[in-house]
Amino acid sequence: MAMIEVKNVTKSFQIQSFDESTKKYIKTKLTVLQDFSVDFDQQGVTVLIGPSGTGKSTLLRCINGLETIDEGDILVDGMSVRDKHKLKNIRLTCGMVFQQTVLFPHLNVMQNLTLGPRKLLGMSMAQATDKAKHLLNKVGLISKEKARHFELSGGEQQRIAIARALMMDPKALLLDEITSALDPEMTSEVLHILEDLAADGVCMIAVTHEMVFARHVARRIIFMDKGAVAVDADKDEFFTVHRKENERVASFLKFIGE
Amino acid sequence: MSVFDFASYAKFRWSDMVLIFRAAGLTLQITLISLAFGTLIGLLLGIVRCSKNQVLNKLPLLIMEPLRNSPLIVQLFLVYYGLPSLGIRMPAMTAALLTLSLNTSAFFAVLVHSSIIAVPRGQWESGYAIGFNKLQVYVYVIARQAIRLLIPQAITLYISQLQTSSLVSFVSLQDLTKAGQIVAQKTLLPFLIYAIVAAVYFALTYPLARVARYLEKRMGFTI
Ligand SMILES: Nc1ncnc2c1ncn2[C@@H]1O[C@H](COP(=O)(O)OP(=O)(O)OP(=O)(O)O)[C@@H](O)[C@H]1O
Ligand SMILES: [Mg+2]
Repeated sequence: MAMIEVKNVTKSFQIQSFDESTKKYIKTKLTVLQDFSVDFDQQGVTVLIGPSGTGKSTLLRCINGLETIDEGDILVDGMSVRDKHKLKNIRLTCGMVFQQTVLFPHLNVMQNLTLGPRKLLGMSMAQATDKAKHLLNKVGLISKEKARHFELSGGEQQRIAIARALMMDPKALLLDEITSALDPEMTSEVLHILEDLAADGVCMIAVTHEMVFARHVARRIIFMDKGAVAVDADKDEFFTVHRKENERVASFLKFIGE
Repeated sequence: MSVFDFASYAKFRWSDMVLIFRAAGLTLQITLISLAFGTLIGLLLGIVRCSKNQVLNKLPLLIMEPLRNSPLIVQLFLVYYGLPSLGIRMPAMTAALLTLSLNTSAFFAVLVHSSIIAVPRGQWESGYAIGFNKLQVYVYVIARQAIRLLIPQAITLYISQLQTSSLVSFVSLQDLTKAGQIVAQKTLLPFLIYAIVAAVYFALTYPLARVARYLEKRMGFTI
């Protein structure tokens, strides 16, 4: 059994759209994922790529139970996202980091890291602090433990957010374009951290357009297009065979400047 | 008679000052009690306003909108002079406390609601992503931030309600304003007396205003 099983998932959003014939706003259904299936093992780094609006974020958010699915099922370690009582454990199993960092602004770095483990894992303050120090070392920010979010650069905030997710000992990290709001220097800082983590064997599912990162670190690459898996391949295979033979892959890679 | 006609000041007795200070006590009492109830009820209404249930979150408006969109003095008259014709009679003090409490709650609810929704959606999602349930996100993440937005605004509301409480003098309660009227008429020194009354109101509210400004500076942060 794979760690994450996405089985025939359909996900749509209600959106407002303008109907030209009646000149009125109407509610319509936008289907983002249609009968979508994919499995993730707890192994290495999987990079999800694809054009904007194909549902990459939606997929990660469904896995983490931040969106409810219309049809199908998603099992994380055998727990269904449809089961409300399992949501907590699903979220502990899959840590998530978003594009726009969202450190808790009322807490300093250390408090951001220790809040979850203390309230949810029953850790004592001392245990949580020890662990936080270890992780802050890992992301190279031990000197910032007392800092508030406005004293940190965007890249530092993302590294803290990664450490905060790791505090819960997740089996996998879901990363949604966590470097796309950063300038190149900060991007490489964050990517270095991810490389280190990958070397430690942390399982990651990352939406990113950083192809250098994908080439270096990814084991598997999934190319999503129009709400479906268009290509699901080994990294090497992706960058050789698929890039040559699949026109959509080729033009997408060209588009993002690869 | 001019303000500088010092002979007439002899008509102003120490006992008049005592009357004014006693009345200030009543004003303070009415204000504190109604602010306490108003805050509690307002908190409840404001939290219900934030519910995702589209029916439930409209219900508080049934109470809030009439209270926010009619003069307090009319509400007070409605309760004190109007309700008896429906067979509901209550002492002036009860009527004043009831009206002021509900009135405060309506405005407080708006502050609670706006402070909670001012916390960005990403904060909820980060809270959920860590594994918190809704209540835990509320308590550990949202409430802590909303309170910082709420407190300075709440104090401003409290100051305004303290001053508005002067309207209870219209239902025969001898609050600070009423006592001022009585003493002014008796001594024929309206300028002096109302200046004293204003100074007492100032002494009651100004410290609050300072606290509000201090907190605004200290707690104000960009999310
Ligand atoms: N809450 C929502 N309400 C309505 N529509 C939404 C919502 N979230 C996403 N969508 C729509 O669903 C589609 C897929 O969005 P999604 O964010 O998953 O795409 P994406 O692949 O992550 O794109 P990008 O690369 O731009 O981040 C888009 O058309 C988007 O407008
Ligand atoms: Mg996205």
